[in-house]
Amino acid sequence: MATRSPQTRSRAAVSRRRFLQATAMTGAAAAFGPGPARAASGKVVVGTWGGDYQNLIQKNIAPLLQPQGVDVIYDTGNDSPRKTKMMAEKMLPRGAMDISALNRAGSYEMYRAGTLLEIDASKIPNAKHVLPKFATTWSVPHIFSGRIILYNPKFVTDKPTSYADLWNPKYAGHVGIIDIQYQTTIQSAAMISGGSFTNYEPGKAKLMELKKLDFKMMPTNEAMAQALKTEEIWMCIMWKARGVMWQNAGVPVEIAAPKEGVVTYISDFTIPKNAPNKEGAYAFLNAMLDPKPQEGFIEDMGYNPTVDDVELASAMAKRVGFTAEEQAQLLVEDSEYLAQNDAQLKEWWDKEFKS
Amino acid sequence: MAVEQDTIANPSSHDAVRREGGAGSRSATGISTLSAAALIGPATIIVVILLVAPLIILFRYSLNRFVPGKFMVDALTVENYIKIFADPYYRGVLFRTGVIAALCTALCLVFGYPAAYLLARTRSRFKTWLVLLVVMPLFVGNAVRAAGWMVVFGRQGAFNSILSALGIVDAPLDIMYTPLAVIIGITGFNLPFMVLTLQSVIEGIDPALEEAALGMGARPLRAFVRVTLPLSMPGVVAGSLLCFILAMNAYANPVLLGGPRFQMMAPVVYAQISEQSNWPLGGALAFVLMLATLALTVGAHALVQRRHRRRGIA
Repeated sequence: MATRSPQTRSRAAVSRRRFLQATAMTGAAAAFGPGPARAASGKVVVGTWGGDYQNLIQKNIAPLLQPQGVDVIYDTGNDSPRKTKMMAEKMLPRGAMDISALNRAGSYEMYRAGTLLEIDASKIPNAKHVLPKFATTWSVPHIFSGRIILYNPKFVTDKPTSYADLWNPKYAGHVGIIDIQYQTTIQSAAMISGGSFTNYEPGKAKLMELKKLDFKMMPTNEAMAQALKTEEIWMCIMWKARGVMWQNAGVPVEIAAPKEGVVTYISDFTIPKNAPNKEGAYAFLNAMLDPKPQEGFIEDMGYNPTVDDVELASAMAKRVGFTAEEQAQLLVEDSEYLAQNDAQLKEWWDKEFKS
Repeated sequence: MAVEQDTIANPSSHDAVRREGGAGSRSATGISTLSAAALIGPATIIVVILLVAPLIILFRYSLNRFVPGKFMVDALTVENYIKIFADPYYRGVLFRTGVIAALCTALCLVFGYPAAYLLARTRSRFKTWLVLLVVMPLFVGNAVRAAGWMVVFGRQGAFNSILSALGIVDAPLDIMYTPLAVIIGITGFNLPFMVLTLQSVIEGIDPALEEAALGMGARPLRAFVRVTLPLSMPGVVAGSLLCFILAMNAYANPVLLGGPRFQMMAPVVYAQISEQSNWPLGGALAFVLMLATLALTVGAHALVQRRHRRRGIA
C-alpha cells in the first residue's frame, strides 16, 4: 500500500502530454517488449495436487498475480489422472489446463508424448535463479526434497546408515513399503544390490529377499504416517519434507540419510501445448519462482527451494534443507530410463512383489 | 381391466384407432407413429452418443498396442485380450472378483430376505420409518461409507477397542486390508438394494396363500420353502443380479478396505488406464469385466428361469 499511494497521487496530477506518452510507451511495450506481464491476464487453470499444495499456492503464489489481473483457478487431483487427462486432450486445440504439476518422471513422460510446450525462459525473469541441477527445457522445477530413511528410535536403536538396514532380520515384519512408491522402492533396492539409475533389475531380487523376511505394505503416504504413529511400522523410505512434517505432527520418527546418496524428488510445473492462456501460465511460473512463495513452501510444507536467491536462515529451513556439500551430492534419477521401464516395473511390482 | 376401460374411454389411443379400421385410421396410425418416432428420436440419439459411442471408442483402443514411452500406438491386434487370458495374474484377479461378487450376493440374500419379509409383512405404524432406515445408507456415497469402515476396522478402531475392552483379544486384530473387510464393505453397500427389491415383490404375494398352507397343516418352514420362496423368486433373481453386478464392478471398497495387495477388476482397470497410461490393456480389461459380468448374469438368470419352469411356476 505504501508504494501505491505516491503512484495514485502522480496519476491524479498527470498532464495530457504525459498521458499520451505513457500510452504510447505502454503500446510499444505490449507490441515488442518481453516479460510475462505483457499479455498476462484472465484465468490461469493450474492442475495441481489438492490439500496443502493447493492451499499454499493460493496463499503464496496467487496474491503475486492479482495485481496483473491474473486469477488462479485450480484443477486438483493426483498426477497420474492428470497425465491421462493431458493425453486425452492432446488432440484438442484448447486444453483444460494452463499449468500441469507433475513429478520429474511424469513431466518427462509427458514431454516425450509431445504434450508439453518447450519453456521459453525469456518469459520467466526468475528462471535465471533456478539451480542448474534441476533445470530442464520442458518444465520449471518448483520445489524439491530428498529421499531418506525414517525410523522409530524406540525400536531401531542403531541409527540406520544405509537402505540395507531395512533388510535387517531384527526388524522383520515392521518395515513399511508404500504401494504408490514402487519406482523409488525398487530404485533404493537397486542402489544396494549392484544396480544403477539405468538398471533397476538387481533391485527386484533384493526386494524378493525383503518379501521373504516379511514387511507391511501401505497404500499411501498418509496410511504410512498412521502406521508409524501407532508403532506398527518402525522403519520406511520417505521424502525428508514429509518426515519433518510428520515429526511436527507428533509421529515418533527420526531421519537418517543413506550412505548410497540422497535421491531428489522434484515437483515440476509445465505448460501443455494446448494451454488456453499461455501468457498467464508464464506469469504463474515466474511468480512461483519468486523468493517469497519459495520461502512459504519451506515453512509450511517442508520442501526446499529450487532457486538460489532464497534466504535459508530459519529454523525450519535448516531442518528440511541440505548443506551446500550435500546439495552438490544430491542425485537426480534418469527420466528416460523410467519412461522406458515404468510399465514393466509396475507389472513386476503388482504380479511378483505384491502378490 | 383398468387398461381395457381406459382404451375404450380414450378413442385416440392406438388400440381404439386400430379397432375402428379404414384408411383414415391407418393414416392416423402412421402419423402417430411418426410423432412417437420424432419424440423418441432425439433422446435415443443422445443415449446412443453417450452410452454406445464411448464403448465403441474403448473397444477400438483395446485393439491398439501400448509401447512404453509412446503410450498408445495405432494397431489392430487382440494381443491385449490374449494377455489377459494367458496371464495367470489377470485370470486370478477376474476369478477373485467373481468369487467375491458371488459371496457378497449370497450374504446379501441371506441377510436381506428376513429384513425384506419383515418390512413387507409388518403392519406397524413405523413401517415408513423402517423403510427409510434401509434407504438411508444410500444417501451416503460408497467411498464415504468405506472410509467409515476404515475407522471401525483400524488397529485402534472401534471394533478392536470393543474386543480388547471386553478382554476377548490381547492384541488388535488385523481386519483392515484383508478380504474380510472388502466382503463386509461390499455386502453392507449392496444390502439395501436387495432388501428393497425383495420387499416390493414379497408385498405383492397374497398372505392368504401362506395362511392356507399353514391351515392345511404345513409347518412354517415348509410353507415358506414351498409357497413364499418360490413366489418371491422374481425378487430373489432381480435383487441377486443387481447385487452381483454392483459387486463385480466394486471400486471404493476393494481399494480402501482391501489395501494394495488385494486386487479386484475395477481397481486394476483404473490402474492401467489412469496410473500406467496403458489404455489398450485397460480398455481390454474393461471389456472383459463387462462381458464376464454380462455372461454370468445372463447365465444365472437363464438357469434360475429354467429350474423355475421345470417346477411349473410361472
